[in-house]
Amino acid sequence: MEVLLITGSTIEEGRLAKGGDKFKAEYTKECAACWIATVDFVTLCSPEKVKVTSKNGKHSVVVYAKCTDSVRPGNVFMPKAIWTNVVVDPDTLSTGSPLYKGAPVKIEPTEERVLSAEDIVLKVYVRGQ
Amino acid sequence: MVFKNIVCPACGAACDDIQVELGDGTIETKNACKIGNVKFKEIVSSHRLRQPLINKGGRLIPVPWDEALEKATYILTSAKRPLLFLGSEISCEAHEAGLHIGEYLGAVVDSNTSIYHGPTVMGVQEAGKVGATEGQKKNRCDLIVYWGTNPLESIPRQMSRYEVFPRGYWTKRGRFDRIIITLDPRKTLTTEASDFHVQLTPNSDYELISALLTLLHGKIPHPSVEEITGVPISAMEELLYMMKNCNFGFISIGLGLSSSIGKHRNAEIVMNFVKEINKFTKFALGVIHAHCNVAGFNQVASYMYGYPFGLDFTRGYPRFNPGEFTTVDMLREKDVDAALVVCSDLISNLPADCATYLAEIPLICLDIVPCPTTVISDIVLPGVIDAMECDGTFYRQDDVPVYFEPFTGSPFEFTKSNEDTLRQLFAKIRKTK
Amino acid sequence: MTEVILIPKRNVDIKLEADIINPDSFAGKSAEEIGNLPIWQGPRTYPLCEFFEVKVNGGSSEAETIIRIKGDASRVKRIGEGMSAGKIEIEGSAGMHLGTGMKGGEIFVSGDTDSWPAMEMIGGLLHIKGNAGDHVGCAYRGKWHGMKGGRIVIEGSARHQVGGGMDGGEIFVEGNVEGFCGIRQTGGLIIVKGRALRGVGAEMTAGTIVIGGKIERFSPGFEYMGIEEGLTLGGVELKGKFKKFIGDYAISTRAKGVLYVAVDTNTEL
Repeated sequence: MEVLLITGSTIEEGRLAKGGDKFKAEYTKECAACWIATVDFVTLCSPEKVKVTSKNGKHSVVVYAKCTDSVRPGNVFMPKAIWTNVVVDPDTLSTGSPLYKGAPVKIEPTEERVLSAEDIVLKVYVRGQ
Repeated sequence: MVFKNIVCPACGAACDDIQVELGDGTIETKNACKIGNVKFKEIVSSHRLRQPLINKGGRLIPVPWDEALEKATYILTSAKRPLLFLGSEISCEAHEAGLHIGEYLGAVVDSNTSIYHGPTVMGVQEAGKVGATEGQKKNRCDLIVYWGTNPLESIPRQMSRYEVFPRGYWTKRGRFDRIIITLDPRKTLTTEASDFHVQLTPNSDYELISALLTLLHGKIPHPSVEEITGVPISAMEELLYMMKNCNFGFISIGLGLSSSIGKHRNAEIVMNFVKEINKFTKFALGVIHAHCNVAGFNQVASYMYGYPFGLDFTRGYPRFNPGEFTTVDMLREKDVDAALVVCSDLISNLPADCATYLAEIPLICLDIVPCPTTVISDIVLPGVIDAMECDGTFYRQDDVPVYFEPFTGSPFEFTKSNEDTLRQLFAKIRKTK
Repeated sequence: MTEVILIPKRNVDIKLEADIINPDSFAGKSAEEIGNLPIWQGPRTYPLCEFFEVKVNGGSSEAETIIRIKGDASRVKRIGEGMSAGKIEIEGSAGMHLGTGMKGGEIFVSGDTDSWPAMEMIGGLLHIKGNAGDHVGCAYRGKWHGMKGGRIVIEGSARHQVGGGMDGGEIFVEGNVEGFCGIRQTGGLIIVKGRALRGVGAEMTAGTIVIGGKIERFSPGFEYMGIEEGLTLGGVELKGKFKKFIGDYAISTRAKGVLYVAVDTNTEL
């Protein structure tokens, strides 16, 4: 399913990030999440986890799915953290700041494992898996 | 022991009314928010970085301070084009020291602004900003527009301390004397606390403001704008009516405006709008900074070198061109070959292509706690917490400087502050190169 | 007639800044002298011959100098910056700031170019066979006036902010453009044959823009004036019917910018 990705802060994300708890399971639970509108969530058969893939198909990340009425159908929200940035478009339109909000991505249900912040760095960035 | 009026180093609000009770291995705070409170806990936390580390075979091993600095010096002086990323949770004095290193090395110096509010700052360069301090908002503001921001979750005390709830000189009834309008494609805690929520389509901010300006100039916007923004023209007229008829309006802009497609053009047109609406009533605009002292780097770099972020010193004089000399672009284009990251978990905030390249090149990281960036660092220098363990200056999000005094000292013998660390590093660089 | 041939010797890691690859600085010099001209990589300079093999065949003045780059120059920035005469031919792609501030002469690129080609161009011709990046013929950051004269031809597509702050001159794009084409335009002509994403002519007060394809998101500050059939602008004949708009009233109540939009592809406007 093609959707527009909006990223942003949540209070818990701020609390855990500023508290230096980026390696805690609680941080993964809060931030490795994709908030999906109810209609889209049901269309995807209410998955526990979704795989979010960038527009060019080059990068993808597995996160927990969360049903919400805070976004409109066709939009999804992810708390700003290392997971969402895996799929954020590195093109800055010559401004220096990547497209954190409103970039098209693809979401699909998955059974794959959600990686921790450390594993994203070691497995995705260092070893390019 | 109890300390009063301590400045909080967590977010751009730079609250200066925190009360801290420091015991033996314990710390209690009053007045701090959920985010600020945990920041103060870092003083006594078990995961704090307490010694310099060097990466040997994939593991971080403690080394003496001098050895770590020597290695860092070697990395920076042997690189063809190093990148210095000076994060925002350090004082302006540390920013100054870092900028001096950058100029000396002919490096590229950048800060959090680049990946967050860079487009907003570029908008200021294009259009000029009608600004106001938090005090003016508190005392005068009777209409507040939150555009693409959710301060209740990013700067929890922003509404209660400065803009919405406090009773001011001309706003004696506090919240009851104010109208709050929030524009956000998403429902958030802030939209719930607002009087009006305009749920516009993502990436349509430019068209919406452009239509408001057209209405302000007495013309009817092209009807296609209704479908593009998801907002009927009649609603735009109502919005404009409220804005024109307030006594003192204020627009707080967040990343929703400057990080969606349109970028600095979105920021530019909202600033043009504020200029134009001043023909009808008093209006000003400000930025929501979710990180502390982001404004500080802009100020320091501007008064030292004329540009607010993304400074390139390769030709011996400062140059500025976002998209060319900014962190994300330089890493994506593989245009740097070493990096120093100061108090910012940079890798968590980078798109995958840039993060992968950052993991490849030699990296020095100065930070207070282990984070994803320290995992890929070759050298980790322990950081001192500004506003708690050393004195210095922060700029609040409304560009007001706030001087802070510490309530305890640096936990290290080898450095007094991050500024001190950077100055020691600079001294070593000067000896080598 | 002098012909200077530059052949890239190796892959470039950190991008080069080569504002001296320019007929003005090559004119009247021998191969050895040209090879010793400095180019920048990071904070250091290196002789040109470190990165390029230099061959020269006769000649003396700027106007008679042709520079041929045989190979990829996509990591070489500022080629032909401020050139006043002569010709540069790049048989490959070029990096950022190609022909920035050029006053005259010609540049021909057979591949693509990165952002900022012909920034604030004054005169001359820039012809790009492939695609161009952002800020084609645009004004520098914070500046209100961009290209003043000359001509840019792009056979492929261009990205954001084409002709920003344009005062004069002509830009032709065969393919598509993205956002903010002709932003803050105060003169000159932009013709785009393909589609445009958004913000076409935003904040323009004078000058002319023609869009042949679909505009995804129309700028709301434009007022419909009527339909015109067949246009001849800048020596180019455009067939078919065009809707004429005047704007951008978002920026000024006295705006006189003209925007022509093809009728067939934009029926709903």
